[in-house]
Amino acid sequence: MATNALAGTSLSMRSLLPQTQAFTSISGLRSASISSFGRKNVSFSLQPRSIRLKISCAAKPETVEKVCKIVKKQLAMPETDVVTGESKFATLGADSLDTVEIVMALEEAFGIAIEEDSAQSIATVQDAADLIEEIVQKSS
Amino acid sequence: MANAALRNVKVLPNSANMEEARHRVFEFFRTACRSLPSVMEIYNLYDVVSVSELRSSVASQIRNNIHVTDPKVIDMLLFKGMEELKNVVDHSKQRHHIIGQYVVGRQVQDSATKDPDTSTFLKNFYNTNYF
Repeated sequence: MATNALAGTSLSMRSLLPQTQAFTSISGLRSASISSFGRKNVSFSLQPRSIRLKISCAAKPETVEKVCKIVKKQLAMPETDVVTGESKFATLGADSLDTVEIVMALEEAFGIAIEEDSAQSIATVQDAADLIEEIVQKSS
Repeated sequence: MANAALRNVKVLPNSANMEEARHRVFEFFRTACRSLPSVMEIYNLYDVVSVSELRSSVASQIRNNIHVTDPKVIDMLLFKGMEELKNVVDHSKQRHHIIGQYVVGRQVQDSATKDPDTSTFLKNFYNTNYF
């Protein structure tokens, strides 16, 4: 009698466990799908607004400023030196390899990919900023 | 992604002139820089070095050969560089190799070249071996 009762309880426990596991997995899937669906909605709603807000013909001043900072860092220039939009890389002491390195640093900073033909045409900070703005607008 | 890009790279014919060789050097440098995020991920170098520092290291290695003017020599150096880059990206090297060559390598080289106690004979001996 005692052994039969113990076997019965163990059987009942075994039968309960997979049901609870299945239930938790189902609820997990539901919550995952709901959250992903919500995220998609949020992303869809945000994109058109960002596109509408971006109506700029020339590069923004903050972009030019960021480019100037990166150029200073790459060329190891002191903070007292003034780098403006009209500064040429050649006058700042950059050779051709330095220019390519600056372009790669800008790619990393802005998360974009500048094509080779476009990179060759860059001679001043303003050119770089304009190109970056153009690529960012195309990608977004 | 870097692996796929490098897998399609073939051995190009020799450069016709200096301008073409120069162009290929920049193309190689660009390819190497685009592979650096993958290298950081493969070898887990985030706590040792940054992408910009690695980029500077690669640029300095290219700059070490700035005096070469023969297109054939440049092509040979580019071939060796591409081979090295492929080895790095395919994980044919270990973490300490990367750190020894590209993170602390410059300091060792700088100290070695500036050693005043070395005699002229040894200096010439080392130069002939390296170049």
